[in-house]
Amino acid sequence: MFYFLKIANNTLFVYYLVSNLVYLFLLLVAIYASVKHQRKLASIRLERMKMSPLVPPISLLVPAHNEETCIVEAVNSLLQLDYPELEVIVINDGSKDRTLEMLQESFQLLETDMLYIPEVLSKPVRGVYMSQIEPRLVVVDKEPGGSKADAVNAGLNVASSPYVCVVDGDSILERDALLRIMLPILSDPKHVVAAGGIVRALNGSRIEDGKMKEVRLPRGALEVIQVVEYLRAFLIGREGWGYFNMLMIISGAFGIFRRDLLRAIGGYRPAAIGEDIDVVMRLHRHMREKKVDYKFAFVPDPVCWTEVPADFRSLARQRARWQKGLLDVLWPNRDMLFRPRYGRLGFIALPNLWLFELFAPVIEIFGLITISIAAYLGVLSREFFVQFLIFGYAFATMLSIGSVLLEEITFRRYNDWKDMARLVTYCVFEHFPYRQFHMIWRLQGLWQYLRGDVVWKPLQRVGFRGAEGN
Amino acid sequence: MPSVFDRIIHFIERLGPAGIVVQAIIATAVGIGLLLAFILGRRTWKSRIFRRRDRRALAIRQKWVGIVSGKVPYEEWRFDPVDREIVETILLDKLEIAPREEAEQLLRCLRESGLLDMRIHEARQYTGWRRRNALVALGRMRAPEVIPALSHALEDHHAETRMAAVRGLGRLGLPEAAVPILEKVVQGELDIPHTPLQNALLSCCRWRPGILVPYLRKAKDDTRAVLARVLGEIATGDLDEDLLLLAYDPLPDVRAAAARALGEARLALALSALGTLATDTEWFVRLRAVVSLGQLQHPRTIPVLVELLCDKNRYVRLRSAMALARLEEQLPEIFGLVTQKRDRYALQALVSELERSGAILDLISALLEPAKQAAAEEVLLAVLRAGAQRLLLSTLFHHGDWRVRVALARLLARFGEMQLVPTLKRATAEEKSPRQRRIARWLLHQLGEDETTERTPAAVPA
Repeated sequence: MFYFLKIANNTLFVYYLVSNLVYLFLLLVAIYASVKHQRKLASIRLERMKMSPLVPPISLLVPAHNEETCIVEAVNSLLQLDYPELEVIVINDGSKDRTLEMLQESFQLLETDMLYIPEVLSKPVRGVYMSQIEPRLVVVDKEPGGSKADAVNAGLNVASSPYVCVVDGDSILERDALLRIMLPILSDPKHVVAAGGIVRALNGSRIEDGKMKEVRLPRGALEVIQVVEYLRAFLIGREGWGYFNMLMIISGAFGIFRRDLLRAIGGYRPAAIGEDIDVVMRLHRHMREKKVDYKFAFVPDPVCWTEVPADFRSLARQRARWQKGLLDVLWPNRDMLFRPRYGRLGFIALPNLWLFELFAPVIEIFGLITISIAAYLGVLSREFFVQFLIFGYAFATMLSIGSVLLEEITFRRYNDWKDMARLVTYCVFEHFPYRQFHMIWRLQGLWQYLRGDVVWKPLQRVGFRGAEGN
Repeated sequence: MPSVFDRIIHFIERLGPAGIVVQAIIATAVGIGLLLAFILGRRTWKSRIFRRRDRRALAIRQKWVGIVSGKVPYEEWRFDPVDREIVETILLDKLEIAPREEAEQLLRCLRESGLLDMRIHEARQYTGWRRRNALVALGRMRAPEVIPALSHALEDHHAETRMAAVRGLGRLGLPEAAVPILEKVVQGELDIPHTPLQNALLSCCRWRPGILVPYLRKAKDDTRAVLARVLGEIATGDLDEDLLLLAYDPLPDVRAAAARALGEARLALALSALGTLATDTEWFVRLRAVVSLGQLQHPRTIPVLVELLCDKNRYVRLRSAMALARLEEQLPEIFGLVTQKRDRYALQALVSELERSGAILDLISALLEPAKQAAAEEVLLAVLRAGAQRLLLSTLFHHGDWRVRVALARLLARFGEMQLVPTLKRATAEEKSPRQRRIARWLLHQLGEDETTERTPAAVPA
């Protein structure tokens, strides 16, 4: 027993050390990459790009399921984006509320007999609508597919542009977000096949006519902690991994892909729980197997504002779903691990996902238990136990503050001193007690998946105005 | 007497292995402290800088006329980096939107104050992001004398700097600025992504597209396609002969670009060349040809467009449908030709496009105009025969003008197809307003289908 505890403690110590060092390394890389990106931006003028006839058209795919509260504002905001060639395709995924009616009333939709060729799988389409007042808008009404992936596939069949951008119906893109996300693609269209932007929490901010008017931190503690989490995940994690072309996730709320490649892999997998990570993984696999030189880019400045869960219940469900989605993707792709054919993905990115993302809740909770038992039984010095906990906590807090620093030196969206002070304060609470809850939710997700609960469940949204009021 | 620092070190040493963790905790705490101090310090410093900039910008704007005219001595602001930056920013921003006379005055200020020379010096002497900044500023100055400095930067070993130079040359918008880029491109000495290169060439050659042609002839493979794409975008009618040569180029990208440019050429020449390109083996060449044929908007293009409507490529079909839908006056003839083809995909593509473009709604409105009524009816009947009844029925029930509803109802009654019956019956049951139900019942009656027969169980065959 003592021997087992000793081994467990040592393993946990190494695990913590490695995971924190990986994050520290990513933080340094992210700072370097962000500063480089800022300098690059200085020599580019977006308004000239907007006028260029060479900018490829984009189809925005907006899956909507029971989003009557925010769909009209979201579509209006998308139609006002700065981009020369835009097509907005809203896919009403069998909503039971008035999503379709709201769209019909606001945009004077007319049902058409538009040619629909189901190149990628999705549930049957009930009708395709065109707007009489906005020629760039297409609405696809389909049978409920039970997943966002199924809805996106229907949109993919209708899309006519070489690039498609998947945007959540409850999200708001900044006006120049598309121009910015297209920068790496325009700089290297041969190699860059997909790009992801940053997703931030819109809760607490002031929104008017589907546009972000004033960025503020949300009032609720749970939401502020998520802001810190998002900053860390995007500004450190994705920026860092993206720099080495090992980006394994492009957020489902805002990502752009080459349409031909999405069709080549058969579109999104309708049964996928985490459709965003699944599609990126399948694209990686496709490109590696075809031996094509490619790149997935992360661009830190095109911002997509999205509503984050404001209560424990919704947050727990979301995080459990993310964890299920991760397992749902990693398990079928386990053959990619440590295979030279998949290069750095197989040797670095995927092991990292398995070890520090998928197994993290198991290892952390198990580790906390064993280390507590060891300290109680005297196998581990109690002082050392306390010191180790303090160190782990302080180091993780430092990384979170590092992401706030990154935000501060590059994009600086939270201008108010009070917001900044709150953001830093909540970095302290992110690792205790929030992290422990988070681990439990993720563990629940794994348990649910193993039990066979693999149904995709959308979150309940309150809409822009509701989120604003939080 | 040992210092506090020594005592801490002594304490850590006494702890043994746990001391490492304590050290780590202390290091982390120091790290956190430093991060917080940096964030705080930077915020304070930045807000001071911005306050100062605001103050100086206000002062400079107050004497702006004097600065531009030179009445305020240049030395007064040139040697202060903040003032210099503010003046340069305002000058360059104004230059972008200034009319010709004002632009000349601003440019004179840039020259006489030495700002232009300073940037040329920076572009030649510096490296990295400082050089790139200088190149961007030079591009925005739009003065021909900056071309050599920008051209020099095309040889930089860093791709970002080369791109900044190309963007700078592009911003000048002068045909002379295109020459160094084209020279380097043709010699294969300019390795940068295509999009910024093409954008720069577009901007420089827009008013003299002929400048591209000799380089296009000299260029090889990939470069030919890049240049051809630019030419395709800006070519004008006076490039006829050159375009004809390019239309028979062995490289499909060049043929595609020629097809795109032919949309701007003389009708007679364009028709024959585009007719050939419409049968090209590469789908994207055919696609470009169909787009250009659509641009011509001439009835003589109809036979080729109808052929392309039956193309094996979906995009060619869609574009062809778009082009045909624009020829509104010839729609009856077009429908006749398409029906003869007996290709349901083609017919469907055309009908979809008519719906998408709103042409069907225009045709419905034309039912009320005696001059256009016959032609509109003919096309609408063809549309109905093609199976596109949904939009027409939706308009029948929901159109705001009762005369349109009546005209459409008569047309549908005349159409007399029994395939309308299920939809009409559903409408009778589902439509909310009595008016809509009345229309459906009337139409059912006209089609010889009495609504009551459906309701009586005995009437339903076993």
